[in-house]
Amino acid sequence: MKAPQAKTVVIWTVVWFNLIFLALPTVIVIVASFTAGNIIQFPPEGLSLRWYASLVETDSYSDAFLRSLYVAAICTLISLPIGTLAAIALARYRLRMATAIQLYLLLPFTIPLIVSGLGMMLVFGQIRILGQLWPVGIATCVINIPFMIWAVASAVNSLDVDLENAAANCGAPPLLTFLTVTMPAVMPGVITGGLLMFILAFNEFIVSLMLVDARIVTLPVLVYNSIRSVITPDLAAIAVVYIVVALATIWVLDRLVGLEIFLKSK
Amino acid sequence: MTTSARNRSPLLRLLFAAEAVRAAIWPQRMRPATGWAFLLPAVLLVAILVAGMAYMVDASFHELDRSTFRLTEEYSLTNYETVLERPFYSTIIIRTVLAAVIVTAITLVLAFPYAYAMVRTKRAATRKLLLIGLFLPFFIGQVVRAYGWLIVLGQEGLLNSTLTWMGLGTVKLIYTYPGVLIGLVQYMLPFAVLMLAPAVTAVPEEVELASDSLGAGWFATLWHVLLPMTKPGLVAAGVVVFTLTITDYAMPEIMGGGTSDFIASAIYDGYFSTDEQGLSSALAVLLVLGATTVVGVVFALVGVGTLGYSARRLR
Repeated sequence: MKAPQAKTVVIWTVVWFNLIFLALPTVIVIVASFTAGNIIQFPPEGLSLRWYASLVETDSYSDAFLRSLYVAAICTLISLPIGTLAAIALARYRLRMATAIQLYLLLPFTIPLIVSGLGMMLVFGQIRILGQLWPVGIATCVINIPFMIWAVASAVNSLDVDLENAAANCGAPPLLTFLTVTMPAVMPGVITGGLLMFILAFNEFIVSLMLVDARIVTLPVLVYNSIRSVITPDLAAIAVVYIVVALATIWVLDRLVGLEIFLKSK
Repeated sequence: MTTSARNRSPLLRLLFAAEAVRAAIWPQRMRPATGWAFLLPAVLLVAILVAGMAYMVDASFHELDRSTFRLTEEYSLTNYETVLERPFYSTIIIRTVLAAVIVTAITLVLAFPYAYAMVRTKRAATRKLLLIGLFLPFFIGQVVRAYGWLIVLGQEGLLNSTLTWMGLGTVKLIYTYPGVLIGLVQYMLPFAVLMLAPAVTAVPEEVELASDSLGAGWFATLWHVLLPMTKPGLVAAGVVVFTLTITDYAMPEIMGGGTSDFIASAIYDGYFSTDEQGLSSALAVLLVLGATTVVGVVFALVGVGTLGYSARRLR
């Protein structure tokens, strides 16, 4: 059976509009980054790689880039065990007050980021760790942990309980069952969650803005500060770095678990 | 068990060693507590947020002493009264809520056909393209995307250069309210599509075919079959987009350039430029309460949708 023409036209018109709307800023940034001129204008004034060269030469940019990687690494390393265990606990164990705990663990989503950021700034200030970089990694983990739990929980859900029971029946002790039956089955969720945590922490802006100072500024905050003064093409080159990191993450996600995992109905 | 393990691979021997360590520190009688032990680290992690929230709530009850520029010791509701009375704050609150309503409506209308096409397309390559089109901006981050919009919509940007070249004059979108809305809709689209897609997947295609074969036009099928059946996804997407918009900071700051500040900007300024921490905290508490109330009312009226870690799992 063929879909009615009007329906096809309406749907694909909106889809194409969306695709262009979503991609436009990205594509434009790439074009702008190759300009030879000192300002961004259209059409660009010649082609060159000079802004990429200036990026490599400017220490403040490469330092901020490394700091962002460090923050994202801390966030990912902490969230992998914490989020995975919490998701398995919520999905596998009968717990009292499970609903209340679920709501509690959704707090990072329901409390606005600006409020979370200020609150953690006050807490970190009180215990005198404000001004260091590793707490920023913890903070990005706190605000994004529901993504990790979510990703793993949906993988646990698709694991048949009988598999674990069968392993136990055949004499596998608890830890062995966990490591050889449960973990491999939830691995797609763990990978998805881990990649989400990495990329979200790498891009994290508003909470970092409140937790960093000039000495430990992360890349998104540096870009933000630069936008507020002068918009020069070197920012476009940084933006391309972000695009490359995003593409790499998408590629890894697609290779390891497949992007289609996000279309699955729960 | 141990005798057979000794003859096995080094990996298996390692696993059995780990099992022995587990048995020593977490014996059989501790089994009932295992679930709680798994949850504890996550609970402690989120406790940092709760502690921060407690500081904010406490600060909101202390008025600023104008002579020392510190918060007074006494508890009072003055900050809340000031927030509700100052026209400056009501303007900002109305502007933010209005933006959240507009952005939610536009985003849902744009996101639904995208999610539908992505789930229903027969071609794997098309599906992949649509997924990448979604994830690329999602993974780039708000600041960099806002920067891209500055280049597209700016005075000398792509749009205005094109318009001038066509002899149509220029439009001013950067540092305006509509500019902020454009940036926000683009920011929210991936969130909305990703929450809608599973809901569309959950509707069997046969249901649509049945509706068709019974003589319903495609619009009738959409209105009477698809939308009601995907309601959980629509609710979840709507709630997420609404709360993310109402609490956003970066987009109004960058795209609005001070002309269209949202609630988050006012909270930030209170802490970092005007030294009114108490007042800012009161505004923050009201924002949390307001957003939670909206979410609660929507959930009470139409159900939790696809949000939450799903109650179905809790057998």
